Amino acid sequence: MNSQYKNLSELKRYFFDQETARRFISFLMKKAEVIAPHSKGEKSFAYQVTTDPDQVVLNYPRTIQPLKKFFLPPRETLLEYDLEKNAIKKPELEPKDRIFLGVHSYDMKSILLLDYSFKKGNPESNYLTRREKSVFIGVSYQSDEYHLAEDLGIDIHDVSGFSLFLDPVEKGFLVFEVDEVGANLLNEFDAGLPIDTPLEQDFSERKPKLKMHHKRLPQIFEHIYHSPVWKKVAERCVGCGTCNLLCATCYCFDVRDEVELNVKEGKRERYWDGCMLNPFAEVAGGENFRPTLDSRTRHRLYRKFKYLTEQTGELHCVGCGRCSKYCPAGISLIEIVNDLIDDYNKQQKQAVTLV
Amino acid sequence: METLAIEKKDLYTPVMATIDRVEQLTGTEKRFHIVLPHGKELNHKPGQFVEVSIFGFGEAPISVSSSPTRKPGFELTVRKAGRLTEKMHTFTSGTQIGIRGPFGNGFDLEKFKGKDVLFVAGGIGLAPLKSLIEYTMDVRDDFKRLIIVYGTKSPSEILYPAEIEEWQKRDDVEFHITVDRADDAWKGNVGVITTLIPPLKLDVENTMVAVVGPPVMYKFVVMALKAKRIPDANIYMSLERRMKCGVGKCGHCQINNSYVCQDGPVYHYPIIKELEEAI
Repeated sequence: MNSQYKNLSELKRYFFDQETARRFISFLMKKAEVIAPHSKGEKSFAYQVTTDPDQVVLNYPRTIQPLKKFFLPPRETLLEYDLEKNAIKKPELEPKDRIFLGVHSYDMKSILLLDYSFKKGNPESNYLTRREKSVFIGVSYQSDEYHLAEDLGIDIHDVSGFSLFLDPVEKGFLVFEVDEVGANLLNEFDAGLPIDTPLEQDFSERKPKLKMHHKRLPQIFEHIYHSPVWKKVAERCVGCGTCNLLCATCYCFDVRDEVELNVKEGKRERYWDGCMLNPFAEVAGGENFRPTLDSRTRHRLYRKFKYLTEQTGELHCVGCGRCSKYCPAGISLIEIVNDLIDDYNKQQKQAVTLV
Repeated sequence: METLAIEKKDLYTPVMATIDRVEQLTGTEKRFHIVLPHGKELNHKPGQFVEVSIFGFGEAPISVSSSPTRKPGFELTVRKAGRLTEKMHTFTSGTQIGIRGPFGNGFDLEKFKGKDVLFVAGGIGLAPLKSLIEYTMDVRDDFKRLIIVYGTKSPSEILYPAEIEEWQKRDDVEFHITVDRADDAWKGNVGVITTLIPPLKLDVENTMVAVVGPPVMYKFVVMALKAKRIPDANIYMSLERRMKCGVGKCGHCQINNSYVCQDGPVYHYPIIKELEEAI
């Protein structure tokens, strides 16, 4: 049975019909900037600042870019400098109230994982200031062929990190009150009385996409460092770095100085970088420490399934499916991981035969 | 959210320091003596590095080549290898330069105390090692034998001729040098650095080894040290990577699960053996 439904069944819930939901979005827009999924073209979606509640899309498979861009912008000025005076200025960042509406549970999870990465060791003010006053309202979704979140232990109805959670039902939404911030919003909005009948539970079975339970995945990464699978993936990979840029938990960056045409002022800017790109591990002398596509593919997956997992105990792939859906070479993460599982099982069998 | 109740740090703003001495060392290397503002000291450990900032050119990780015992200020030895270092080579005394750091772990001095120390320096690897060499000389009684082996491409590329002359004169320091290619005036050893290791008479159990050099050097030095039966646990090496941010965020310097700017650049050899991408 679906364990998270048990979780939901313990929460206070309300029913909003479509019109109430629309009024609720307008209410949220008066409280803070509301960032929500919007249509981009016919089949694509993007998180953007809401100006019209009717433009918000709550039934969507995934946005093209994950939420990280609101906390770690694709391009951000770290310093401004005056070359004539050799003086520097750091742009001021103020925490801003923001409500992220219509977020899927895997995207929420990615922010909780990024929090770890930016707090660990040296807590970074740029990220943490942007993150400070954010409120998240989740929504459930229909899993498509690219989603892997449920197989990685992130349930569609996982409410961790959210203040409220929406579940579309006939003619409206069930609205679950997750934390105090959410309770206060509902109270102020005057959501009426909670529903007191027991929550109907979904007992439908899900067909697993991965050939192994997610709890065992970090363990197989102990054995597949030299697997032939890496070379097999590298044969198709074009090294474009799309998987890094669209990954909900990738946060590596580069820093570059840009000088204005007047050669008097400039900026030091940080922008997203990706370990799949060839020069990523290159040093000034020209030595490249990860010069091949197979070694870079391996590094990318080890960052998701082992290196950070050793520190947090959590997988750092949230199964959003973006790397697979938008890979120009059609490489599927689900396929890679299943191939690695096959390779691991083969190794285990051989080991048994040898004994 | 209670998980965010944490002290936030401004990680990327350098302090403006002043270059107060510049010295041309070789055709491609210069050393810069730098002082921080308001009489502050860097308080680094031998083996640590700083991020040098030149506005319009960016930042580069550079090892500190002076010992923390030699105050005021600190020294950076810089090879002309890219846009930023070329620009830095045009700087003269009095130029302001941005500094962040010190970063990285540095050498674990406690492990070296009371022991013989063997320094293995290849090429510009002598720069970070000079910090440790000077340190051991300045607190000489904390250490037993000091043995330096240094290999460089040619006599014209010898990094610190003045210091080396002084080290050669001291009777409490054993100094060995070799060049890959001699010139007419060269009367010393010719050959790669590993040729200097077999003849050394070492008390291997009580000799700590510090190795810094170009990436290609490490495997061969390790083989030579193993042939001498130096225990793995006595070997430390400093690795070069692209330490872009210095604070464990940007990802460029990562070796498997290790961020060189945090866990390194100095690694204990038993750890390196576990890191497939290290050497």
